[in-house]
Amino acid sequence: MYYYLYDSKLNDKKYTNIIARIETRLTDLGINGKINRLSFLKNINQVLAEEIKRGVKTIIIVGDDKTIGQVINLIADFNITIGIIPIGPNNNIARLLGLPSEESACDIISSRIIKKMDLGKINNYYFLTSLEIGGKNITLECDKNYIINLQENNNIINISNLNSCYDTISDPTDGKLDIFIENVQNRLFRKNRSTLSHLKNKTIRVTSDKTIPIFLSDERKIIKTPADVDIIPKKIKMIVGKRRYF
Amino acid sequence: MFKETPTTNETETVIGPSVKVEGDFVTEGNVIVEGIICGTIKTSRNLKVGPKSRIFANVAAENALVSGEIQGNLKINDRLELTSTGKIFGDIKVGTLIVAAGSVLNGKCQMGTPKEKSIKPDFSKQEKIDLKTQVNSEAEKIENKQSKKK
Repeated sequence: MYYYLYDSKLNDKKYTNIIARIETRLTDLGINGKINRLSFLKNINQVLAEEIKRGVKTIIIVGDDKTIGQVINLIADFNITIGIIPIGPNNNIARLLGLPSEESACDIISSRIIKKMDLGKINNYYFLTSLEIGGKNITLECDKNYIINLQENNNIINISNLNSCYDTISDPTDGKLDIFIENVQNRLFRKNRSTLSHLKNKTIRVTSDKTIPIFLSDERKIIKTPADVDIIPKKIKMIVGKRRYF
Repeated sequence: MFKETPTTNETETVIGPSVKVEGDFVTEGNVIVEGIICGTIKTSRNLKVGPKSRIFANVAAENALVSGEIQGNLKINDRLELTSTGKIFGDIKVGTLIVAAGSVLNGKCQMGTPKEKSIKPDFSKQEKIDLKTQVNSEAEKIENKQSKKK
């Protein structure tokens, strides 16, 4: 049985037509189900907890990356399949999974290609896409084997599970996290020079001499150092399209 | 018709110039080093050491192209290429070695596969020649000939 979770921003009038088209397409394909519209008054945790108790097996998120990030954290420990119908501009996850936007995504949901994907975990908090860290004197302890010291100030660290940055696609099925370290050197009267490092690891411990915020791109949430980042292989089942990037 | 995905490179680990790695660095893919590494490096594939990089570590790889400085022992299964800016201070064990003019190599060097040993002649199966007895017998023969002539 399908359970549809609508993002709170879809209550806006400008989305009425799009939602009507999606619902018609879902009915045509015979995959319509219970719909729950989120709002500022509804707590997503409570709504999902109730549905999981009732035994829902497939949750279709109608919204953007932020909604997906919230849902993933709540259902990661249950055997539930997630589908996405992307609406709005901020839909990087759907693009990487090969899902077209709006009603075209309904056909992909109907064809139901399911992939088991890895989930990143930072201090008991799950993430699907990536983390971003910026600051000085950061130390990364990788796989408990070696330490990476970053003493310069202009480093941007990106830890990705599913992402496409720096012309590289992070595969969410390889059981490893991609670490990208970009160092930008500001030069007077000349173009800034940037260098890139790329490593693959399973566990990373992020420490620094001062507390540094870690930006979670799924949910736009901030977590502070020290932090332990792990990968949980094949933790989540997702409906993907044929045009996926991995 | 075709998958519209961005071009992806072969899995590679890149250690940039701003990065300093300390410890045992073990990977299964190609490695490009432009920064500093202290400890050990092991890869089952290729290693490229950039001109400004410095490695204070024992290195094991399938193939290696060295343009920077390595202080430590190297074990390269197949091919090691040392460019004009490359410096190695340590012993090397390698299948094939290519050294460019201007490079520095200080240490013991062992080349070729372990099977390729110098072929020594085997004298153990040959019968020993007793020179003393041979000389005496020849002298006796000459004496006999001379006595017959007389």
